[in-house]
Amino acid sequence: MNEIKPPRIVETAPEGDEWIPSTCNLCYGTCSILVHKVDGVAVKIEGNPKSTVGKGRLCGKGVSGLMTHYDPNRVRVPMRRTNPEKGIGIDPGWEEISWDEALDEIAGRLKKIRADDPRKLSIQRTTTVYTMGLPWAAFAPGFGTTNVSEGGGGLHCGNSAHQVSGLLHASWGVLPDFQYCNYALYFGASKGHAAGHNSNSNMAQAADARERGMKMVVVDPMCNFAAAKANEWVPIRVGTDAALALAMCNVLANELGTLDEPYLKAKTNGPYLIGPDGTYVRDSETNEPLVWDTKDSAAKPHNVADSEDMALTGEFEVNGVKCQPSFVLLKEHLKKYSPEYAEEITTVPAENIRRLTAEFAKEARIGSTIVIDGVTLPYRPAAAIAFRGLQGHRNATFNFLAVLLLNQLVGAADVVGSCHGFNSAFDGIPETGRMGYKPKAGPDGLMEVGTWMAYDPPYPRPEPKKPEEMGLQDLFVMGMTSPFFNSEEGEELWEKLDMPYRPEMLINYGANIMMSIANKDLIAESLKKLDFIASFDLFLNETSDFVDIILPDRGYLGCYNTRPNSPYIFSHPAGMGDWSWAIQQPVVEPEGKERIFADVLIDLAERADFLSDMNAAFNAVFDLRGENRLESDKKYTYEEICDADLKNNFGDERGLDYFKQEGVITWPKTPEEVYWRPFTDARVPIYWEWMPELGKKIQAISGPAGLDVPMEYYSALVDYLPCASHKCNHEGFDFYTFYYRDTLHTNSFTMENAWLDEAAQLDPYSYNIAMNTQSGLKRGLEDGDMIWLETERGRKVKGRVHLTQAIHPEGLGIAALCGHWAKGMPVAEGKGIFYNELLELDWEYVNPVNLTLDLCSKVKVSKVEEN
Amino acid sequence: MKWGMVIDLKRCVGCYGCQLSCKAEHGTPRGIFFARVLKQEEGQYPTVSQTFLPVLCNHCEDPPCVEACPTGASFVWEDDGTVDIDHDLCVGCRTCMLACPYSNRYFNDNEQAYYGDKGQTPFEAARTTQHQEGVVMKCNFCRDRRQEGKEPACVANCPTVARHFGDLDDPTSNVSRLIKERAGFVLHPDKGTKPNVYYLPA
Repeated sequence: MNEIKPPRIVETAPEGDEWIPSTCNLCYGTCSILVHKVDGVAVKIEGNPKSTVGKGRLCGKGVSGLMTHYDPNRVRVPMRRTNPEKGIGIDPGWEEISWDEALDEIAGRLKKIRADDPRKLSIQRTTTVYTMGLPWAAFAPGFGTTNVSEGGGGLHCGNSAHQVSGLLHASWGVLPDFQYCNYALYFGASKGHAAGHNSNSNMAQAADARERGMKMVVVDPMCNFAAAKANEWVPIRVGTDAALALAMCNVLANELGTLDEPYLKAKTNGPYLIGPDGTYVRDSETNEPLVWDTKDSAAKPHNVADSEDMALTGEFEVNGVKCQPSFVLLKEHLKKYSPEYAEEITTVPAENIRRLTAEFAKEARIGSTIVIDGVTLPYRPAAAIAFRGLQGHRNATFNFLAVLLLNQLVGAADVVGSCHGFNSAFDGIPETGRMGYKPKAGPDGLMEVGTWMAYDPPYPRPEPKKPEEMGLQDLFVMGMTSPFFNSEEGEELWEKLDMPYRPEMLINYGANIMMSIANKDLIAESLKKLDFIASFDLFLNETSDFVDIILPDRGYLGCYNTRPNSPYIFSHPAGMGDWSWAIQQPVVEPEGKERIFADVLIDLAERADFLSDMNAAFNAVFDLRGENRLESDKKYTYEEICDADLKNNFGDERGLDYFKQEGVITWPKTPEEVYWRPFTDARVPIYWEWMPELGKKIQAISGPAGLDVPMEYYSALVDYLPCASHKCNHEGFDFYTFYYRDTLHTNSFTMENAWLDEAAQLDPYSYNIAMNTQSGLKRGLEDGDMIWLETERGRKVKGRVHLTQAIHPEGLGIAALCGHWAKGMPVAEGKGIFYNELLELDWEYVNPVNLTLDLCSKVKVSKVEEN
Repeated sequence: MKWGMVIDLKRCVGCYGCQLSCKAEHGTPRGIFFARVLKQEEGQYPTVSQTFLPVLCNHCEDPPCVEACPTGASFVWEDDGTVDIDHDLCVGCRTCMLACPYSNRYFNDNEQAYYGDKGQTPFEAARTTQHQEGVVMKCNFCRDRRQEGKEPACVANCPTVARHFGDLDDPTSNVSRLIKERAGFVLHPDKGTKPNVYYLPA
């Protein structure tokens, strides 16, 4: 089949002039790049046109990478603190040390902890270089700790986006099928508008869709990125999206009756019979959930009956138990979400809710098919998608599920034109067939993902137990990135729940958790309690104030990574087209004594006597086979391990040398990979049957310890549940704050990039607080005024207001993660607003299912008197 | 032969890829942008629209900057219609900047190092130092790249493929066709400068 082309012949170029293929990492989008070097100096970064990841084009961040690489404020040598006192803004008194000194001290501590209890070591990484996780995935289990946090050490991960996309679409997130979608309904997402997974590639696909005539409706408190390009902007009260989505589901199910019944019967648990206790009625022999077979008028296991004969409605009696298909329960449940009720909650007029639902229903074209590359497939060119915005609230799980339910009702899931999990199925590398994956039916016939990112897949989940993980995910088993990983609030919970140990040491890789979670004082207290922190960094940032040894990292232009885009559910373009496999390789020499972090980890494993365990973990993580397996006691460079990984997957001829020259290989996708849903017998849950029982089990452990789990979050049926901010009625607190991802910035570190910072200073929004013009004028504010925002608990930040018509009158929009105060990032210092200072870090603000921390707050606004 | 650019406002999402890929191509000092992105808000809540407007030198057919230049430094290339500056002739009087109705000319008198006292980065030493100081600078449709057979950096890099480059004298070229088929327009036609940068409506 798809033959891989031989290496290209390198064109003759002047001596000292070369273009080296690698991968961008200014965000986790990991687009393929070419770096132009002249006489040893990198002078330009361009996209690599041979790759489908970016297709030779880069966003503003990607083309600015050299400013980060050559920033004179970068950390270039290992350093140790001389001042034992740790605190915000207290100078650690850094002194340069040798790599040997640094490694010996860290390894000595690792050895001691490993002998005592390896769980006392915690590791956290930033999402920016999320795809560089493989060395960590070998280091942590090699050492013996499960306390690893990938999502910036806390808040800013798409917990629900990933979890619910995994459950319903077997992928890390969802997108409209840009190539065929005619009607895209966005909730709190910027897909295709310079943010999120596949940020760069999605831009061209979304632009093609607009030009083709795809209608886009964007539900968002602010009309900036996606909403600015929409045919219709639907302004909404912050954090209430689920009420709107559920009202739309209600209109679909109970007013219009526009439902894809064959899809619901074949691809969801809608036909599963539910007894009076809310759980599945099961087959006495096989224990499989039963459905009602309308042809034989009898109950049958779901995997025995033909889906077309399954009842979606009606009431039945099975072995003396009264039961109904779960779809009936859902349909009845939705009735409480009338458009009029939703209007009160969301401020979206009921008539608009009905109109938008009718448009969505019509465009779904239920029952139609289309032929793609000779394959006849269901055609549902309507998609409802969401991302980080709407799910960053206490009702995180349900907020996301409510939106994706719209697609399920009309059968618009992973078929042509519909809502897609991106790249949920992959047939494997041509010739070797390695690395392939596809979703499949798991317990109770429900879908298991084909591949997943770092931690356990979303289904099935283990049983809850008394927590032994710092983030408490072994108790809250649907939990993902946890805000309690490093905070004083976590300590309180550990105390209550009898955690058998406490962390003593942290190894940090690029995360800046003093800024990336919430209430910085709680984070500071927990960091002070640790005996020792070692941190790989590019800059001395706010978290460095608490670090003992700083290790200079070479950054993305100095590292190896054999899998920057794999698995494809993270940062590879969706839809028909090509697969690309690129690598990341060092393209520039270090400016100082920076080292490749993976080699430092290998050195540490050797010095702390667990190299053989780390090698074993490398063998497992990379699934190295035959002669590519690492020998137990031999020390390898990471470059050698990368060579083994590539040969293992691509064959002996295509190891690291081949990829260093070739940079990327590309081959076409098939319709069966892209539109996989019709080809799987897996079903997805529209009724989360397991949830109430799970909630009770968790409560049985946490309740006696004084930590109550609010059961409404563990309902089998999706609901709108308000945030703490919605319950704040104190006079004068009349704005909802929210943050968003700025086009120009990734997490907190790009504010130090002088080009990006300059562009952000000229942008009307990036470093300002966006407020509705009329709302501002009513309060006597003028554009450019400095204002204070203060929560009812007295947390406050100040910033400059930008009055705009493009925001909901009750919303205040702020670009996330600005407002640095560290002296080690002088370009970033003082720019923009430190939004997270407003956020509480306690149980009342956390989603009790997947541990998402609420991003909104209710504030009062006052003018700062300037001299 | 007359080089022209077409920018499709329907495709542009304001990602700043043009502004920053231009910086990366030319290593222009702080405050100097041969390409920029502007944001324009129109209407009243809730019926508001937001337009992302990428701008650059319009390479006008009747360029007031060239007419205003007292030394002949600003000129039009006869073979391709692009407007350029001969920096050896420029005395930095900035008359052209006042004459340009689009404010797309910049005077190079800022610090030549983005990181200030810390000095120039190796990139800046290689790229920024190629520019003369005390002169006016602007976009020349990436003359160096064109001579290598490449499109201007902002065109080649645009992630949304919103920018097109071609010969406006050729009625069958991509740019001529787009302008005709999609009602291309220019900025401030009232100024009578006859720009060669066109926009397609959002």
